[in-house]
Amino acid sequence: MAKPGDTLLFSTVRRDFRPWLLLLNAAVATTGGLLLPTALAGAVDMALSGKFVLVTVLWLLLLAATEIVGDAIGIVLAASITARATAWLRKRLSRHLLALGHPSRFAAGDAVSRLTGDCGNAGGIVVTLLALTVTAVSSVGAVVALALLDWRLAAVFAVSVPLAMFLVRSHMQLTADDVLAYQQVSGEISARLLDAVAGRHTIAAAGIADRESERVLQPLPRLAAAGAGMWRTQAKMMWRAGLLLPAVELAVLVAAGFGILEGRLTTGDVLAALGYTALGMGIVGQMPQLTVLERTRASATRIAEVLDTPVPPRPELLPSTGIELRNVSVDGALHDVSLTIPGGAFAAVVGSSGAGKSTLAAVLGGLSAVDNGTVAREGAVGYAFERPALLGTTIGRSIGYGTAADDAQVRDAAVAAQVHDVLIRLPQGYDTPLADAPLSGGEAQRIGLARAIVRDPEVLVLDDATASLDTVTEAKVDAALTTALPGRTRVVVTHRPATAARADVVVWLEKGRLRGTGTHQELWDHEDYRAVFTGGE
Amino acid sequence: MRFYLSTLAGHRRGVLILLGWSMLEGVPAFFGGKLVGTAVDQGFGAGDPQAGVLWLLAFAALAVAGALGQRQVFARLGSVVEPMRDALVTQVVKGVLNDPTHRRTPDASAVAMITRHVEVVRDATAGVLVQARALLVTTVAALIGLATTAAALIWLVVLPIIAALVLFGLMLPSLAKRQRDAVMADERTAEASGAVLTGLRDVAACTASDEAYEDIATQIDQQARASVVVAWANSLRATVIAIGGFAPIVLLVAFAPPLVASGQLTKGAVLAAVVYLTNSVNPALHGLARTTSTVVMRLMVALKRLQEAAPEKTQETGRETPSNGEFVLKDVTFGWSPDAEPVVRGLSLGLKPGDHLAVVGPSGIGKSTMASLLTGLMPPDFGCVLFGGAPVDLVDPAVRHHAIALIPQETYLFTGTVRENLTLLAPWATDEDLTEAVKKVGAKPLLDRLGGLDAPLGHAGEGLSAGEAQLLALARVYVTSASVVILDEATSHLDPAAEARVERAFARRDGILVVIAHRLSSALRANRVLVMDGGKPLLGTHEHLLQTSPLYGQLMLAWDPTRHEETPLPRR
Repeated sequence: MAKPGDTLLFSTVRRDFRPWLLLLNAAVATTGGLLLPTALAGAVDMALSGKFVLVTVLWLLLLAATEIVGDAIGIVLAASITARATAWLRKRLSRHLLALGHPSRFAAGDAVSRLTGDCGNAGGIVVTLLALTVTAVSSVGAVVALALLDWRLAAVFAVSVPLAMFLVRSHMQLTADDVLAYQQVSGEISARLLDAVAGRHTIAAAGIADRESERVLQPLPRLAAAGAGMWRTQAKMMWRAGLLLPAVELAVLVAAGFGILEGRLTTGDVLAALGYTALGMGIVGQMPQLTVLERTRASATRIAEVLDTPVPPRPELLPSTGIELRNVSVDGALHDVSLTIPGGAFAAVVGSSGAGKSTLAAVLGGLSAVDNGTVAREGAVGYAFERPALLGTTIGRSIGYGTAADDAQVRDAAVAAQVHDVLIRLPQGYDTPLADAPLSGGEAQRIGLARAIVRDPEVLVLDDATASLDTVTEAKVDAALTTALPGRTRVVVTHRPATAARADVVVWLEKGRLRGTGTHQELWDHEDYRAVFTGGE
Repeated sequence: MRFYLSTLAGHRRGVLILLGWSMLEGVPAFFGGKLVGTAVDQGFGAGDPQAGVLWLLAFAALAVAGALGQRQVFARLGSVVEPMRDALVTQVVKGVLNDPTHRRTPDASAVAMITRHVEVVRDATAGVLVQARALLVTTVAALIGLATTAAALIWLVVLPIIAALVLFGLMLPSLAKRQRDAVMADERTAEASGAVLTGLRDVAACTASDEAYEDIATQIDQQARASVVVAWANSLRATVIAIGGFAPIVLLVAFAPPLVASGQLTKGAVLAAVVYLTNSVNPALHGLARTTSTVVMRLMVALKRLQEAAPEKTQETGRETPSNGEFVLKDVTFGWSPDAEPVVRGLSLGLKPGDHLAVVGPSGIGKSTMASLLTGLMPPDFGCVLFGGAPVDLVDPAVRHHAIALIPQETYLFTGTVRENLTLLAPWATDEDLTEAVKKVGAKPLLDRLGGLDAPLGHAGEGLSAGEAQLLALARVYVTSASVVILDEATSHLDPAAEARVERAFARRDGILVVIAHRLSSALRANRVLVMDGGKPLLGTHEHLLQTSPLYGQLMLAWDPTRHEETPLPRR
């Protein structure tokens, strides 16, 4: 049955010429492998005849060399094809995820798992397909080779194949229950650990870590039991498989023995028969590859799901002085909001949590698209957030992220955001890798501010971007912003009444609707407005 | 790694039994070639099919014995691998829960990662035990068998194999390094994409999707290159092993003719030698190469990651006994690192039984640090926190944990009955005690709705609202004998009326109550207020602070509309 990911897998295979090389290599190596038992039989017969024949030995060497070199090339080629396909898929996927923008339909963790896990799985498609093909061809070739030696050998062998299939099948059924139980108990322990981790403050303060460990580990005996069950099943399977190969070998050997007796086969042919039996049984060992193929297709479908998500159209920006919103709605967050913020004004956005403040801030600056209505705005926007995600390789780069700002501009922005003093005290100053920089919430916020300042925007949107700063630092930042970016339109999402009081205009949101606009003084007479700051008392 | 090895050593008996059964498993490898050779020499080749079939049946009987051995090996594998996994899980869980710093506290994805790594260790250990053991037993058995049948040619066989193994051993360090590089490249790709994808909002805000793409693409390309580099190393390894395994066969057939002609070697002996090499030694060699380069590497990486997730547990120490129930803080300063701005600076404070302190200040300023300092989880950088005259972090843990109770904002509820959850800190509490405590904090309607103390709770209080979960956590502490109770935003999800009820209930309980306030109204109920705003802490009664602290005034102003007229709002 075709899956949505199959088309993607097909284009992954087709975009490169290397799969053909791998196929060619596999064809040569497989041919060598199929001829090898016969050559070995010939060489042994030669040895037994007591006469050294150079050609026979050279032929054996040539075939062995073909197989060994073929395998060596195959390993590198397969890795190269998988690596390229994986990289190609990952780049396509990340490009598309970036194009989908904010807010994304795919949760970050999910997207990362698609990018790392699924792309890796899907990238292996060529190698998986080829492994299956080669095994099938080898097995069929081995049966044909047996038949060429003596049709009785092939017949004996053919009887064993359905048996082998049956065995593998029964193994899957046998393990399914224990595997399921094992996964369930394992998940139960994880869930308990997660509970305890969420309650780590309680546990640490009460000094009950050991007792709670016992609680988390309560299901462990069941896990061990399920695990032991899996090993027992495995043991049964190995017992059967351990009997199967010798049984087939024995049958083939007896048939070959009679072949020697009746002069149809040489002593060397016995070896060839053994070799082909092992080769023919190879398909049994490759059965898990079918599971791998299914997994590959499932992964490809998950990638295709992202790639098939259309990029939302970005409406063209209507020019305006200041910001103008007309009947703006965003599904589940904003309803029919219309407002005007004059150019150069300082606007505060307030409302209790869940009122839609961040969504409004995102819409104002064009960060996310609107479902209905229009947004008109002047020029470029700089954003700063309560919890900025700092990106880029170094601290300095995280400020200049996405711009061509030089060191001096980055430094100036950091000075304005009151964070320069912190950054020069880092181990390598501005060149400290982001991962090695221990930053508090307030420091990250100020770097986020510097990142907005360095872009020299016409509109500055601060989404609760000074929440972790104490009032003194906040006031300094505020003054520095006014100096560094004079006359810019500023929109500030805030929980602090003092900030709202400084604003030219306050935008008051409630449950996604515009509840009122005006100065802080005017709105303060509303009991509901005061409740925004006091938590409803 | 050391832990892993010592755990395995602890199951020495299991490992020995495993090896015992391996001997049986090796029997076919030892006799296999010889029997096939004899079947030809004395049976089919000598015109005696009956003898030939009988010899082959003997081969079959040995194969059955070998399969039996293999079956036992796998059945026993469980008794080595499962206890090892149990010990590993136990150590990791204890390590995670005992980690005093909580700097590396795992989230949901990290817990999932721990589970994955534990499974890798389990599978890889089994793989190593199966493969390495099989290699040892099979190779030795086959080589001995070979020596007994074709003694004249043994050096031709052994030398190439030894040469290949030595060469392979020499290649191992570089192979391991490349594998490690590839794993690191893999993790960096995950990190880079994780950073960008969790920060999509910021990427959009910076209009930096090109730079973000470049950052990810760089890692993706490096990772692809690293995996090809590993493939080259693997390819070389496979070649060395393949040559080492195949060369003996070629040498054998090349040097055998004169020996066969002179009668030193029988037909069966040559056949036996080749069967030994192709059916036993070669598969074992390939198994070794595969195991060492993939399974062992996976094992090492997983063990390293687990160790990072769960550091060795550190035992809480402390023998001091407090002489009374009073807290004295003297000039306490605390910061998250020596370079960082201190969160608490020069705080001096005394708390006596009956005291009710509220800690207020902007969110994110570090008010919870007070909770950590008072519970002794973290000692101050400078100054001292004395409980009953002794530094609180040095007080005997058993005494300290009974005397001081903390209710954090994140509630700890686990799967079990309501009773189990409520008696977490007071296992001795009777049902009457519990019901009383539940009533006091105003959770009686909740208890009734849940169906009483025997009602089951799901994971993380599934099905309860955040406020309901907090009520249960509050009742849980109310029932204890703790003389100091610290509410660290423990009522953040309750409505103001419920919050007031809870605080009054705790205030009427004897002892010290510290409320790290979510709402400013908590300050009105306290008899002292500590204001934290990043600078020097302000301490005093509500009235005193209103008169002396502009910040407090500002905070209160927002809350208390009656002061609207007297103190005008600060203007820009």
